[in-house]
Amino acid sequence: MALSVIFITACGNNNRLDRTTQTGVIKTVSDSAKNASRTTLFNLYFKLKNSFAADNDTDAANAAKEMIAAFAGFKANSLTPEQSKAFSEIKEDATEHVSHISANAGNIVHQREHFDMLSKDMYDLAKLTGTGQVIYVDHCPMYNHNKGALWLSEVKEIRNPYMGKAMPVCGKIQEELKL
Amino acid sequence: MVSTKGTRSVKKILLWLFAILILIQFMQPVRNHGAQVVLNDISNVIAVPDNIRGILKKACYDCHSEETVYPWYANIQPLNWFLNSHIQKGKSELNFSEFSMYSTRKQQNKLSAIENSFNDNSMPLSSYTIVHRGSVLSSEEKALLRNWIQSSKDSLIRKNF
Repeated sequence: MALSVIFITACGNNNRLDRTTQTGVIKTVSDSAKNASRTTLFNLYFKLKNSFAADNDTDAANAAKEMIAAFAGFKANSLTPEQSKAFSEIKEDATEHVSHISANAGNIVHQREHFDMLSKDMYDLAKLTGTGQVIYVDHCPMYNHNKGALWLSEVKEIRNPYMGKAMPVCGKIQEELKL
Repeated sequence: MVSTKGTRSVKKILLWLFAILILIQFMQPVRNHGAQVVLNDISNVIAVPDNIRGILKKACYDCHSEETVYPWYANIQPLNWFLNSHIQKGKSELNFSEFSMYSTRKQQNKLSAIENSFNDNSMPLSSYTIVHRGSVLSSEEKALLRNWIQSSKDSLIRKNF
């Protein structure tokens, strides 16, 4: 909102700007808007992850509900047609997982099953669109009958969202994304 | 006098209910029998051996495919509406007849979700197994499904990476 106000003001005051500059302005504004929607999405994911680390199914459901809207409004920066296809597949899949998490307060076991799949989507999304911040990829070897699962974290410290308070520091950093 | 009046209105209500019950028998939702069931079936992307297909058909396909085998009471309303809403919801979550149309990502995740759902006994639904006793999965059948799911996921990975 603030951005668009500035943009409108800028347009009003600079009638003599040439076309190229104006296009440049539009591009910058829309890029930063996209980056903002990306930051929102990842921050909501972290909120969700921290709710699971605290064994809080209600907070998880609420964060997931916000993520449904965040995904709907999420647009990626310039992608090739191939990337664009991958992006829409991730978006579709992830939306399904957050919908399930949001609808299953009271069943944290089931919520975590979807969080496992969502985390893989978020990892692929991070690789595809970049993150704009340092993100740690953590791995829990024990979840799902020792099949293991990954999650993304904004902090270096391990706070396991799959095991929760039962085993809060189980897991290790397996990758660092700085894109 | 008052009681006769009361009995009369009860009769009237019952008569109306009966009439409505008769009327809704004529409102039958379209049966869930897709015309092109084989076209996008799961077997187009994943090998489904006969024993696995048998298990899927008896335990899952009534609500998760275009090949519903209807029980006799499906001819009675409002039961048919109830069944139909289950089938529609089931298909929107997972449809074996549309499985090959899913993205590989979704196929992988659906296979995981299938395994999770029979591991924690959330599927088949208890309201389904109470009528379809044969759809209760034995531990041998679960083991067969588990192995099939694992090899199917591996084959999807090999195909795409």
